[in-house]
Amino acid sequence: MGGNKLLATCALVVAGMCVLPLGLGIYPQHVLIVSLFYVMMAASWNLLAGYTGQVSFGHAAMAGIGAYTSGILAVKAGLHPWIGVCLGTALAAVLGFALGALCLKMGGIYLSLTTLAFSQILHIIIVNEYAITRGTMGLQVPGLMEEYSKITYYYIMLAAAVLVLAVLYWMIHSNLGLNFRAVQNDEAAAKSVGVRVLRVRVLAFTVASAMAGFAGGLYGHYLLLITPEIPSLDLQFKVLAMTVIGGMGSFLGPILGAFALNILEEYIRVYGEYHVLVFGSVALIVARFAPNGLIGLWRKFRPMKTRPAVG
Amino acid sequence: MALLEGRKVSKSFGGVQALSQVDFAVERGTIVGLIGPNGAGKTTLFNAVAGAFKPTSGRIVFDGADITGWPADAVCRLGMARTFQVTRPFAAMTCLENVMVAAVNRHPQKPRAFIESFAREKLSFVGLAEMAGSEARQLNVIQKKRLEMARALATEPRLLMLDEVLGGLNTQEISQAVDFIRSLRDRLGLTVLWIEHVMGAIMQAAERVIVLDQGRVLMAGTPSEVVNDPRVIQAYLGDG
Repeated sequence: MGGNKLLATCALVVAGMCVLPLGLGIYPQHVLIVSLFYVMMAASWNLLAGYTGQVSFGHAAMAGIGAYTSGILAVKAGLHPWIGVCLGTALAAVLGFALGALCLKMGGIYLSLTTLAFSQILHIIIVNEYAITRGTMGLQVPGLMEEYSKITYYYIMLAAAVLVLAVLYWMIHSNLGLNFRAVQNDEAAAKSVGVRVLRVRVLAFTVASAMAGFAGGLYGHYLLLITPEIPSLDLQFKVLAMTVIGGMGSFLGPILGAFALNILEEYIRVYGEYHVLVFGSVALIVARFAPNGLIGLWRKFRPMKTRPAVG
Repeated sequence: MALLEGRKVSKSFGGVQALSQVDFAVERGTIVGLIGPNGAGKTTLFNAVAGAFKPTSGRIVFDGADITGWPADAVCRLGMARTFQVTRPFAAMTCLENVMVAAVNRHPQKPRAFIESFAREKLSFVGLAEMAGSEARQLNVIQKKRLEMARALATEPRLLMLDEVLGGLNTQEISQAVDFIRSLRDRLGLTVLWIEHVMGAIMQAAERVIVLDQGRVLMAGTPSEVVNDPRVIQAYLGDG
């Protein structure tokens, strides 16, 4: 797609997203806001798992870092939520850098287990440090603005998501993106052509974690009640499912997946605990019949624009 | 001074001594063959030189710099590129992107348009221009070897290390490949260190040949010295 055509498409989609909630009630607006949070989570997790091959289970934990940092600073120190969100993003970036550096020599399952451990440790700390975090009761935090307004939150989350996606798009399509994908495809070969593999991996971890922290910070101030649900494995696996079902390693996949699954979840909520079953079934069906996700399906059935030369 | 020099390079994996006290030199502007029976340690020596792992002991000197234990990416930036015995393309990326990865790390400041045309040029140099848009996984083995060659050349090396690039080629293709490798030296001024099992090709193209056997240098010399040496014949054919 040419630069202008791409820009025009993006502008159209964003304009559509701006108009979309106007005719909707409070509840659909809420669903859209939550979806936008998941768009940021899935798209940034995709940078790690889909583009550099680092399947981290600590991404929800980073959202938790962002949410709790900002929330605690607002409650205990009276800091303005916007400053808190910035500090939460920064702390998530620092922890992402540290976690990425810790996992440098690891790949595959070891990296996943280490990040899983990080996530669980954080969860335990949050649940038990009742005096600071109010444990499972949840921490009541102030909103981003004086007067609560659903539609304003929607536009804030939309702007945040657009910002995150723009940064991701730029990274993926820059030289960095080539390096990311080279590392994911074959680390040894990437090194042999001069890719600074360690730097690339840590950078991806840092950026993705910062984005999760940013998303989590905003999300917390939207919910007004921060609970250990944010840095939980439930949320982590939901982000994973969205990315995989949408199409890991593609730019649009996680965005589609986040909307699709989050909206689907609302429809199947009536089945109570069984909604997990539906979720699992969807994941299974996609894994079996569309291993490249929704985006892969779409590409398969769309006439190809450029056919590979016959070799 | 030689472009590449190994001084008493040893490498052991657990109890297995893969390389012991290997001394060798590769002079600038020459094509040097590295031969030896299976398991002689040729690829191990490559890996130790190119930074895939650190030798247990000994030193590796490239253009006067001691690069022992340097990581592969740093070695590459210094001007050494390699291909792999079992090819390792970036399978899910297009051929063009494969070569662009090498190009952007050689020319990080250059604009995208330059990188792309630079990469295309390397692809057509190895005869893969039509495959630029195809994913590397779709290539056959021979095309993959060519792709690796283009990728290596895009790092603009001074020393090119080839690991069995002739496997699977017929006689005519072999002689074309030999001409191609010669032209790398003659036209681009590259120095080539080349592991190969196809003895005829090495004998045609190389000025010097290093023979490894059981992790040691059995001998080094001109191709005709090597083929006529009874030790080499014995290493290949075994004790009659």
